[in-house]
Order: sequence, then structure tokens, then C-alpha cells
Amino acid sequence: MSTASAGLAKKIGYTNIRVYLDGEPAWSKANLPTYSTNEFIKNGNVVLIDIRPSKKAIAGRIKGAYSVPYDTLENTLDDVPRNAPLVLYGDKEVMDAVVAVRDQEFNFVSLVEGGYQGWVKSGGEIEKGPIFNTEIKWVRKLGKGEVSVADFRKAVAGEEKNTVVVDARTKEEVAELGIFKNTINIPLDEIPSRMNELPKDKKIYVHCSTGARADMAYSELVKHGFDVKFLLLNIKDAECDCEIIKP
Amino acid sequence: MNKKILQLIPLCLMLALLAGGCAETKQAEVGGTPAAKEAVQQEPTVYEGEITGVSERAKSISIAVGKGDQAKSMLVKFDDKTKGVNQAKKGIAAKIIYEMRGTEAYATDIQLKLAKLPAGVTEIKTTELQKLTSEKAPLFLVDSRPLARYNQSHLPGAHAIPVPLLEEKQAAVLPKNKDLPLVFYCGGPT
Repeated sequence: MSTASAGLAKKIGYTNIRVYLDGEPAWSKANLPTYSTNEFIKNGNVVLIDIRPSKKAIAGRIKGAYSVPYDTLENTLDDVPRNAPLVLYGDKEVMDAVVAVRDQEFNFVSLVEGGYQGWVKSGGEIEKGPIFNTEIKWVRKLGKGEVSVADFRKAVAGEEKNTVVVDARTKEEVAELGIFKNTINIPLDEIPSRMNELPKDKKIYVHCSTGARADMAYSELVKHGFDVKFLLLNIKDAECDCEIIKP
Repeated sequence: MNKKILQLIPLCLMLALLAGGCAETKQAEVGGTPAAKEAVQQEPTVYEGEITGVSERAKSISIAVGKGDQAKSMLVKFDDKTKGVNQAKKGIAAKIIYEMRGTEAYATDIQLKLAKLPAGVTEIKTTELQKLTSEKAPLFLVDSRPLARYNQSHLPGAHAIPVPLLEEKQAAVLPKNKDLPLVFYCGGPT
């Protein structure tokens, strides 16, 4: 993307153009600060963390922030999914906190530009007083084309008459592990040649073992005009809890 | 495979190099020569774009070809003879050369698309960029990624100008002074 933009700028007549090929990942890896926009902090599906001493957070904090003082950071984040975007703010120690959470393998970590003061100055909403939300809760939002586990469970239980469930695993996997009820097996590589077996006037849910092949099958089917969703879940996950017809 | 297609391959390769970018989903650029475009539409043999899925079990790769909302996911099979399968990973920009066997597309060669700098454009590394930004040196820093990525995490002082926006607005979203140093970045060279 950056090289395409650089080429375009060159064409328009800019004379001094450089490209930072290593990009944002390298910048983060060097433990340099990156920022989230205020809009994203306010409306995005983020975990916003005030790492200042709790006294300060009680006196005033960004609306929706969890108060997790720096020295308690490590233990508090144990149960937070690693793909949750974390946005931190604090005083001088904030870059140390960023390094610490990146070390804990959080993939998306950024800062509030200018910290609490910067937020206040830009007119962002704040709150004051005692803090009641101490346990961090974050639930991944369904991505494009994903079916919720609840809807999927209903479909394989036969409660959604207008839905066809496709298992995109190989025949060998099905023979070994069994198959969900109300499901037909079309391995991913056979989808292109066998999609005529699927109805266009019904919903189609695709699953596999983890969601990777289901995602690929979804893309292929959506391209051909099917009303399709896929399950992004390891089907061994207890959350699935769907009945299996054992081989 | 007919002769016309064979002649076309070097052209595709060349244009692909010119069009290279980081993790860019871009169709094989053959727009330059009308004759070439026609031939490709008849029987395309190269997919270029971002790999969106790889399944060892199904021996299949999906690749997003085309731009933005118009991007289409293409499913290609591979076998033991396919070159470069180990390079195929979700999220990377790649070029897949394939052939049709019956109705199915089989990859013969999978190549990484490495970012190539346009002529007259130089690379900047982290240390130098960090020095320039911390010194507040005159510099216009551009984040070329989709807006959602910028919103989540961007470099200090970066302006959000996704590629489609720059294509549309051109100089209107860049500084008036055309001699001001510009630095573009995205999600890394893949």
C-alpha cells in the first residue's frame, strides 16, 4: 500500500518521497508509541486501561476506562483474550506498561494521545468517583460472514428449517470423528464442483475444525450468490456443545 | 495453453513487479495494453492479491483478487508439484500462477510479492524515522492502510490517507509544498 501511494505522489509531482517499508509492526516492535484515535477509543470494541494510581483514576478518568494501576497490570490481564485491542494511558510509566503487555503477547496495544490530559483537552468524556467495574470483560464481535455459535447450534439441532449446514472437513476426518446432526459433508476442495447441491433460497452455515476452511468455503459460496455464513470456532471448544453422530 | 498466453506471462511478471506493495490486494495490472487485457480475460493464469486462507488438508488456497469491496476470493488447489507452497500463509501478498485442469484451477507456482520502491523513492528505517519525528523535523507522515487499522494504532503525527483516498483526491490530501519530505508507511513488507 505504501509503495503504491509513494508512486502516486511521485506522479503528482512530489520531489522528496520515502517509504517506511517496515511499517507499523516494526515501529511497535521497537517499543515506540502508537496511538488510537479518540473516536476508536470511544466507540471501538476496546479495553481501555488507566494505569495511573487508583487515587488519580477516582479523581477523574476517561469514560469507560478500567482502573488497573501499573503494579497490578500483570495479574489483572490474565483472562483477557490476546486479540483484544488494548488502549493504555498513564503518566511516565506508560511506555513500560506497553512493553509489559506486549510481552504478555497482546497483539494490539496502543496509547491515548497526550494521556488523560490530552483526552480532556480534546473534549473527550470523563467520569469521576468510585470505580465499580473491576473485572475486565471483552467479547470479540462477529466478523464479516460469521455465524454466532448460538445460531449455529440451533441449526444443527434442526431448529432452523430454512438452513443447511455444511461440514467442510475431509471425508477422513468425518469418518474418524463423526459429524454434527442435520449436516452434510462437502470437503472444502469439492465445494467448487459440488455447490450445485446447495440451495440458493436457504441459509447455509459452513463449519470445519477451526474455522479456517469454513472461511474459505464461505468466500467461495458468497461469490456465487449463496446466502452463507461460517462458524469461526474450534469445534472441540466446549462452547459449541452440539450433538455429534459418532461414526 | 496457446501462444498468446505464453507471450503474456513475462509482461504480467514485469507489471506485477511494478505494482508490488505491502500486503496489497491488487489484481494483476494489465491495463496498460488493451490486447493483453483481452487475452487475460479469456483465460487468466495468474492471481495476484492477499492470501486469505491456506488448508493443508484440502490442499487449497484462497486468494483475494481485486480491490476493496470488489475483491473476489478465488480458490486454487495445489499438489506436490506446486512450487512455493510453504511460502503461502494467510495475510501475505502473493502471486499464484495456475493452470486449469478440467474445471479446477491448480497452482503451479506461488511467489511472494515483495514491496518494490518506485523509481526515485528511497526507504527509511525505524531509527531515522524515530529521530526525525522526535526532533519534529519538517515531515508529512502518511498511513496508507485502511482507516480501521489507523484508528486502532498509528504512528505519532501520522495522517490517515488510505490508498483509495489518495487515488481519488490526489494532491488535495497532501501538503501544498511539493518539496516537503513525505514518508509513507503501511503494515510492513510481506
